[in-house]
Amino acid sequence: MENKQFSSPASFVDSTVVPGDVVLDLSSMTSQTIKLGGGLRQDCDAISAMKAGTLRFSKPNKYWIESSQKRYVPCVEDTILGIVVDSKADNFLIDIKGPAMGFLPVLAFEGGTRRNIPKFEILVESSHNSILFSMRLIGLYQLEVGTLLYLRVVKANFGMNPELSCTDASGKAAEFGPLKDGYMFETSTGLSRKLLSSPTCPVLEALGKKLSFEIAVGLNGRVWVNAASPDTIVVVANAIMNSESLSGAQQIIMVDHLLKNIQ
Amino acid sequence: MEGRLANSWRLTVNDKNFIKTALLSEIRIDGRKPFEFRKISIKFGREDGSSEVQLGQTRVMGMVTAQLVQPYRDRPKEGILSIFTEFSPMADPSFEPGRPGELAVELGRIVDRGLRESRAVDTESLCILAGKFVWAIRIDLHILDNGGNLVDAANIAALAALLTFRRPECSLGGEDGQEVIVHPPEIREPLPLTVHHLPIAISFGFFSNESILVIDPTHNEEAVMGGRMTTTVNANGDICAIQKSGGEGVPRRVIMQCLQLATSKAASITKQIKDAVEVFNTERALRKIKRHPTSTGDDVREKQN
Repeated sequence: MENKQFSSPASFVDSTVVPGDVVLDLSSMTSQTIKLGGGLRQDCDAISAMKAGTLRFSKPNKYWIESSQKRYVPCVEDTILGIVVDSKADNFLIDIKGPAMGFLPVLAFEGGTRRNIPKFEILVESSHNSILFSMRLIGLYQLEVGTLLYLRVVKANFGMNPELSCTDASGKAAEFGPLKDGYMFETSTGLSRKLLSSPTCPVLEALGKKLSFEIAVGLNGRVWVNAASPDTIVVVANAIMNSESLSGAQQIIMVDHLLKNIQ
Repeated sequence: MEGRLANSWRLTVNDKNFIKTALLSEIRIDGRKPFEFRKISIKFGREDGSSEVQLGQTRVMGMVTAQLVQPYRDRPKEGILSIFTEFSPMADPSFEPGRPGELAVELGRIVDRGLRESRAVDTESLCILAGKFVWAIRIDLHILDNGGNLVDAANIAALAALLTFRRPECSLGGEDGQEVIVHPPEIREPLPLTVHHLPIAISFGFFSNESILVIDPTHNEEAVMGGRMTTTVNANGDICAIQKSGGEGVPRRVIMQCLQLATSKAASITKQIKDAVEVFNTERALRKIKRHPTSTGDDVREKQN
């Protein structure tokens, strides 16, 4: 049994591992660069699992552990949906459904300089709004508490607050930033990965054939939907929430059922 | 402080606006119509007097226990009914363990008022020896999951638990007839409580634009709504209690509309509770038959299979 653990890494890929399993032995693989994704830890020559799940491998050299939870563990290069909670001098505090708040540097927007920092007020109802508006300096975006942002994780180290950004690696906006209108709901991380997988997830394909809508999926278990009419949004949101534990064929049947009810 | 911030549930600006705009076209985020209740499922535990109610995502557990105590001085011939609520932190990130918060106390009061003021439970039948011994019925409501509208779910849980609760039979004995002997359930069959009618609590949510009204608000709708009102009515059309704490003002016409809606919903919910209790009682009776280790007992078991 012990000998088997140290055999070729392919033996563990796509199989279930538990914390403590040594999934890779680096001494048997020379002069290769390996990228470790979430859930893996390096102990000198042995790579061991830190969470329970399935070990995945993607060419050329990336390994990571996949599992579905309601909580999100931040991982570098993930695209997530965050909610603005507060603003500090240098950072915005963002809630990303993880163990700690994420920090979004004030300059991490396309064309962001100290001159045009996104301004950010606590939303005050009714009559006070007009007074606040005149007092506000018009900035790049108006980020209120509760704004939904599409972000990228830049740094995610254990024990530190993760650092986020509203630009891609080259500094362009590339669809990151605040999302307007629509409706956001929460799912498990496994479902959000399924929604982002290619080929397209059956539930999204079935919905896309009959309805037109826009969707943003965060790997932290948040999904945002926007469409022209409210009932389309409601149908799409409920269909995705229901598809958590259904197989592909069942998802298509469920979507047909839902669409028949509204027509 | 940051840790607590990271754990609380938040509603985005997008969601707030969407819920309000969708309601203008009479659409709710879970696909219900404005005056539709969520699916109610009532389950019972093995013991008498324990119920678990699920209203959509909301889950509440009710437990009824009884104890012999001395009655209150000013009511020597009446039993005592008391309600305790426990908002478990696993139900919602904002629930803290320890002393019940404002919401917990309000929920307890609404359920208590519905049962006590309307005299749904007959407290005089709980008196064993006037001035000395009466039964004190204690209802414990545990909130297991907060999916919105805890009051209604807790009320149904309390009623279901009360209907299936059995108190031990007791008789007076001793030399001067002043001693109370409590008979164990194996010797004498325990007795059910006398419940005259079922007061059902129905909650409404009010939204600011054009006095939109919804019944049975979910968690998201509760965070957005401008005011709430809980009416406790029974299937006969009697209004047992109304609670409207804070929130925006509501015109009289809307309140009358709410009461009419509540009365129509109360009838169907009462029927659901009674059916569930029926099923439980039948099962309970069947379980008694199984206990007897005679050959006829075996036959019954085989027939059931």
